[in-house]
Amino acid sequence: MTAISIDHVSRSFGTVRAVDDVSLEVRDGEFFTLLGPSGCGKTTLLRTIAGFADLTAGQIRFGERRIDTLPPHRRNTGMVFQNYAIFPNLTVDGNVAYGLKARSVPEAQIKERVARALKLVHLDGYGERWPHQLSGGQLQRVAIARCLVIEPEVLLLDEPLSNLDAKLRVEMRAEIRQLQQSLKITAIYVTHDQEEALSMSDRIAVMRSGRLEQVAAPQDIYRAPATPFVAEFMGTTNLLTGTVTGRDGDITRIGVGQREFRAPSRASNGESLTFSLRPETVRLLAPGEAAPAGWATLHATLARVEFLGALTRLELDLGGGTTLRVASLDVLPGALATRGCVVAAYDPRRVTVFGGR
Amino acid sequence: MIAVSRRDTFPLAITVLALAFLSLFLLYPLLKVFGASFLDRTGTSFTLANYTRMLSSSFYLGSLYNSLLMGVLATLVTTAIGVPLAFCLARLPIPGKSALLALAALPLVLPSFVAAYALVLLLGRAGIVTRFLRDIGIPFTSIYGMTGLTVVFALTLFPFVVFPTLAAFKAVDISVEEAGQNLGSSRWRTFWTVTVPIVMPAVLAGALLVFIEAIESFGVPFVLAEDKPILAVEAYKLFVGELGGNPASAGVLGVILIVCTALALLLQRYYLGKRRFSTAARRTPPELVVAPWLRRLAAGYSWGIVLIALVPFFAVIVISFMEFRGPVMHPNLSLNNFRDLLNQSSRPLVNTLTLSSAAALLAALIGVPIGFAVTRFRSRISDFLDIVAMTPFAVAGTVLAIGLVISFNSGWLVLTGGWLILVLAWVVRKIPFNVRASAAILHQIDPSLEEASINLGVSPLMTFIRLTVPLMIGGVIGGMVLTWVTVASELSSTVVLYSGPWATMTVVMFQALEGTGAGIASAAATVLIVVTVLPVALVYRLLRRHELGMM
Repeated sequence: MTAISIDHVSRSFGTVRAVDDVSLEVRDGEFFTLLGPSGCGKTTLLRTIAGFADLTAGQIRFGERRIDTLPPHRRNTGMVFQNYAIFPNLTVDGNVAYGLKARSVPEAQIKERVARALKLVHLDGYGERWPHQLSGGQLQRVAIARCLVIEPEVLLLDEPLSNLDAKLRVEMRAEIRQLQQSLKITAIYVTHDQEEALSMSDRIAVMRSGRLEQVAAPQDIYRAPATPFVAEFMGTTNLLTGTVTGRDGDITRIGVGQREFRAPSRASNGESLTFSLRPETVRLLAPGEAAPAGWATLHATLARVEFLGALTRLELDLGGGTTLRVASLDVLPGALATRGCVVAAYDPRRVTVFGGR
Repeated sequence: MIAVSRRDTFPLAITVLALAFLSLFLLYPLLKVFGASFLDRTGTSFTLANYTRMLSSSFYLGSLYNSLLMGVLATLVTTAIGVPLAFCLARLPIPGKSALLALAALPLVLPSFVAAYALVLLLGRAGIVTRFLRDIGIPFTSIYGMTGLTVVFALTLFPFVVFPTLAAFKAVDISVEEAGQNLGSSRWRTFWTVTVPIVMPAVLAGALLVFIEAIESFGVPFVLAEDKPILAVEAYKLFVGELGGNPASAGVLGVILIVCTALALLLQRYYLGKRRFSTAARRTPPELVVAPWLRRLAAGYSWGIVLIALVPFFAVIVISFMEFRGPVMHPNLSLNNFRDLLNQSSRPLVNTLTLSSAAALLAALIGVPIGFAVTRFRSRISDFLDIVAMTPFAVAGTVLAIGLVISFNSGWLVLTGGWLILVLAWVVRKIPFNVRASAAILHQIDPSLEEASINLGVSPLMTFIRLTVPLMIGGVIGGMVLTWVTVASELSSTVVLYSGPWATMTVVMFQALEGTGAGIASAAATVLIVVTVLPVALVYRLLRRHELGMM
């Protein structure tokens, strides 16, 4: 039962600030994800918690206890490495027992706890095997069992699924999430895969160049990104910039090229605004169909169709060099058959405006 | 790489201890050698008189000239022999290739002065072959001088060129060559414009090793140079001279020798610094299909070179079983030489076995942690340690030994006259090899394994002992055996440092060369050959997976 508080933490490599004044509170029992492109500082931040990277400034506490002054082997964290880091010279049992032996746990108890940990990750009966006899997914389970068996205060996972194939990755992420919830252990998870982050996390911190862009629950991160960077990083979006031309109550009209968009904002006329409109929130209207009440419409030319099976991606030409991406689960064949003029509709309240008031 | 933590006292402790050891037994003695060369007779004031005196003597200036000429000739001939051999082994179908490769590595561990001595037995003034040639009317004087030196160095040092070059030829991605030909270049032109430039850095690295080994060599020129002065030999003679020794003059020659090797190293660094090819070969080049006559030529050449290099050693073994009456050999089989050798005393053999074991153990105990510190915990101080740990490579054994004697024959720590000084000298000389070898092994071990262990609550020190060392153990044992084998036949520092009861087999052979006769010398040489080949063959069988070519 441990909350983690990261307090104005910085870590520099020479002149590069890999982690730049980051403050975070991870709640007790929370599954917290650090998400960002490679080089954003997420792994470095995780390694400062584990103790493999020193802080240049700041403090880290587990509960009330300051831990950044402790050497890494006294922090009682359990880290799962990207490449598993299974000791090749020890059996599965030996690997899982490793941390217990370091803690001088009695032999009989070690046996029992190792068996319990292996059962937890569905590897009962694999204790005698050698690492080279196991598959990637099994090695990953051993790595997790090896961490859990020492009952760490926090679980640290550094892109643990990136070396697995796509299908196994989806299975394992559900399994890890379930395990974390049943044990109620605080976990920090590092990944660059936004889908992974969205599906597993209680909260996500999106990082960029060593700084936090946004910390929020998955839904909020996706639906209400705080910055254009977050909007673009979390899936595809239409990121557009225009000038305020007027308002209807809460809804501002924004001119982009030859078209006018509507979005919730209090910006005044003439101000420049950047906003994000998710492709899946845009709908193509069937010929003659009326837009739902309160929705805005756009006349456009269909420029490109990409059929992906369940999903169809469309690119609409709005004229003046502006394109609008649309993703639709079920495109009416008739709408595409027109092969020219289409009408797109969207709910202005689903538009996210950046930098406005 | 594990990031350096302020709290990690362990790598810092390794670094500090290693630097303390190397400062005391390497840097301090070297400083003493420099000191001796720059101080006047009273030992108090700075002077360049020693240098002007030595460099105005045509004899000692000649020793510099001869050493350099010897180094250059050895390098040129060895490279000329080694590169084609490497090409044949890499790209042509040679029958019995794996056996050939194993045999080609043997000269690396066999004592080169034994080969020199064998050459004298065969082709010296009273050599077997020499007399035979005279008997059938072919005028042949002898092998002494530059010819003999070059032949011995070429035959004993060629693996230094062959193995890195062979690896480089194999690392050339075949698609690079195919691209060359696809762009309209002929096979021959592609070889010269694509393959050779890629292989060049490896050839030069090998050639540099040959140059340094040759000019640092003491035993080979001692046996073969005869009246030609050579730096390493003259430094020895000046230092242990019957007139009470002359540390100042010996120091001057030692410093000159160090300058030569250091310059060669810097020159190579400068050249290689500008040419870094990363050749991550996806497809190893296949063996070339060539005409049968060319194939036979290549096989003959490859086997020829490797076997000729081993002939001296076979010859010595055979001769050691011949009967000698005085200096004259009779064609009867006999064990008399070995009886005479052991009648003198079995102590030298025991010394060789025990002291070499102590040195191999100590070199691993010091070298492996240094390799660990410099690969896993990069910092300014560990970079410095890396450079210091490589320094012995550029210091001739003779010079190091002279420094050790000057440093530890009086004062608070007296080591001369004992066995420890021999072991220390050998350990220091083998530190570069041990550090490089363990660094090479460590590069194969993922650092996150060590991090995982630390994360699970095992301290860095215990992680090193309980995880890293067991993972390295195969390579470490291989390295220890190679260390053992090379120090068992070490001559250049041993002859300066041994005293009375602590003479080794190499000393016995060295003394036999000067005095009593060929019988005992060849028996001692045979013992040395057996002592070196047996452990290597054993380890080669046990650790076939680990590359022996790490040297």
